[in-house]
Amino acid sequence: MTETLPATDNRRRIRVRAIKSFLSQFLGHGGARLGVFALILFMAMAAMPNLLVGPLQTAMNATGDFLVSPSQVNLLGTDEAGRDVLNLIVHGARTSLVIALVSTLISLVVGTAVGMAAGYYGRWVDSWLMRMTDFFFVIPSFVLALVITPVVLETIGRSGNILGFRPSLFVIILVIGLTSWAFVARIVRSQTLTLRERQFVERARVLGTSNLKVMLRHLLPNLVPQIAANGALVVANAIYTETALSFLGLGDPLQPSWGTLLALAQRAGAASSGAWWYLGAPGLCVVIVSLSFVLIGNALDDTFNPRRRAIP
Amino acid sequence: MSGGVRGPGGHHVGQVVFRAVITLLMVGVLNFLLFRVIPGDPAAMLLAGARSSVTTEQMQAQRQSWGLDKPLVPDQLVSYLSTTLQGDFGYSFKFRGKRVGELIIERLPETLALAGLAQIIAIIFGIFLGIYAGWRRGGVIDNLTTGTSLALYSTPPFWLGMLLVVGFSTMLGWLPGYGSYSPGAGDGSFLAGLIDRLRHLILPVLSVALGLIGQYVVVARAAMSDVVTEDYMVTARAKGLTNGQMLRRHAFRNALLPVVTLITLNLGYVVAGAITVEAVFAWPGIGSLTVEALNARDYPVLQGIFLLLGASIVFANLIADLIYGLLDPRVR
Repeated sequence: MTETLPATDNRRRIRVRAIKSFLSQFLGHGGARLGVFALILFMAMAAMPNLLVGPLQTAMNATGDFLVSPSQVNLLGTDEAGRDVLNLIVHGARTSLVIALVSTLISLVVGTAVGMAAGYYGRWVDSWLMRMTDFFFVIPSFVLALVITPVVLETIGRSGNILGFRPSLFVIILVIGLTSWAFVARIVRSQTLTLRERQFVERARVLGTSNLKVMLRHLLPNLVPQIAANGALVVANAIYTETALSFLGLGDPLQPSWGTLLALAQRAGAASSGAWWYLGAPGLCVVIVSLSFVLIGNALDDTFNPRRRAIP
Repeated sequence: MSGGVRGPGGHHVGQVVFRAVITLLMVGVLNFLLFRVIPGDPAAMLLAGARSSVTTEQMQAQRQSWGLDKPLVPDQLVSYLSTTLQGDFGYSFKFRGKRVGELIIERLPETLALAGLAQIIAIIFGIFLGIYAGWRRGGVIDNLTTGTSLALYSTPPFWLGMLLVVGFSTMLGWLPGYGSYSPGAGDGSFLAGLIDRLRHLILPVLSVALGLIGQYVVVARAAMSDVVTEDYMVTARAKGLTNGQMLRRHAFRNALLPVVTLITLNLGYVVAGAITVEAVFAWPGIGSLTVEALNARDYPVLQGIFLLLGASIVFANLIADLIYGLLDPRVR
């Protein structure tokens, strides 16, 4: 006991030091600071929309006039049904961020599992998994989602409620998550291929550790930096895909995301009637959030991999 | 991104073509299975108008004549794939009786004009700016271009389009923000019609092009910064080459490789990328057709569009792989 104490103590100190140096290097990037700050702001919006702007306004309980430009009463103006645009985008933050983050989580889990299995087992497992990955890598998530989403929506129907979210949101989340993992799988596979040959993996295998345990205990922790840096880019892509799909009418008007709001603005003729606030606000939110994730991804990439410069 | 290292065995034309064929086959199979999931019997849908008088025998006969009584796999799948290969994509629900192939071919030129012009503009400006920014890393122009490109890269092109309409069409009234021509504008002379069409093209082309420029700048700049740190650049400098000579003889050619790959890949996405922008401008191309098909649940049309997008993407990937093999001797 007494002998192991200093060792664990030392290990903890090393870990704390590593985290500190990581944070100082990561936050040393101006872009990363900006991105983290913006994301905290939007996360707060998504976490407590009711507290900030009251419940989601609908055409039934809207209080404002139609398409009023920004004023003291409606800071961001109103839409064609008299709803407050600020209210809509704060509630939209929750929908948009939930879709983007959960679908990214799915995509990272599937991509990591496929890439790790392909790289670790090699041979026919590798060639079959990679053939499948090729397909999803070549055909963009947006194009696949464009045909899959309407079919699934038609099959399961749009009514009902799961955990406070409409079922169509789950459909979009699943479709985006299950079509955008190929990029992650490729990166994880190539990283696994080099890790597999390292001594600590070989040692674990010689000691009789099961394959699953080797992958989870020894490979996965070493893959985390790569997954995190690319995960940020996956989020940015998920936001884009969701916005585009919703804009084309596949979103849920009863639980509007920013993309759905843009679709509503387009249908109401906001652009041709000069209602810049109506279409400007949700679009700007999309740009800020996705730019934040790109900046964070670049900073992570740079921090974890000092030999490679940040992408731009 | 794609292309590049292929593992043992190297880069064979046959292998690349084989992969493309497999991917295309998977697009076809997905297209078949996906649209069989939709609830409702196709035969019942076809006879829906005459529901009261249809007997079970008639329904059975109908199913038989359409081959719907045969098993889904392989019989129905094989007949779907073979008719698709012959260019028969079925009939639209919404545009009654019209062939899907005809509909797509009617709309395709509008999309190609829009997306093609946008590509050309983006390629010229994006590569020039990106190469310059990468050559003069850290300069004023570099910082400015990089920042702007990143922002453009994160901006949905259709939102850019909406902003352009508000600014240049609604507020300033300079350019039309709707459709691809004004009715009656081409009656006077050919020239007046052409000018009218070009005026209609400006805003949608700009929306598509700006996003692409961001992409090209990011890739061209990264490629250029990679090249600048290579050993042969140091050698060139040691040999006493001037900046201009180094840029022209050594840097430019090598930096162009990833850019050429990106251009080829992007050619496959031109149609897909223009879909949302077309929806903003009511541009009568494939994008608007997609929106119409989505709203009317016109699944045969949606199937046809997916096939078109899939095929063009797979084809562009194939070309990119082949070009990469030609340009980079290390891959051969």
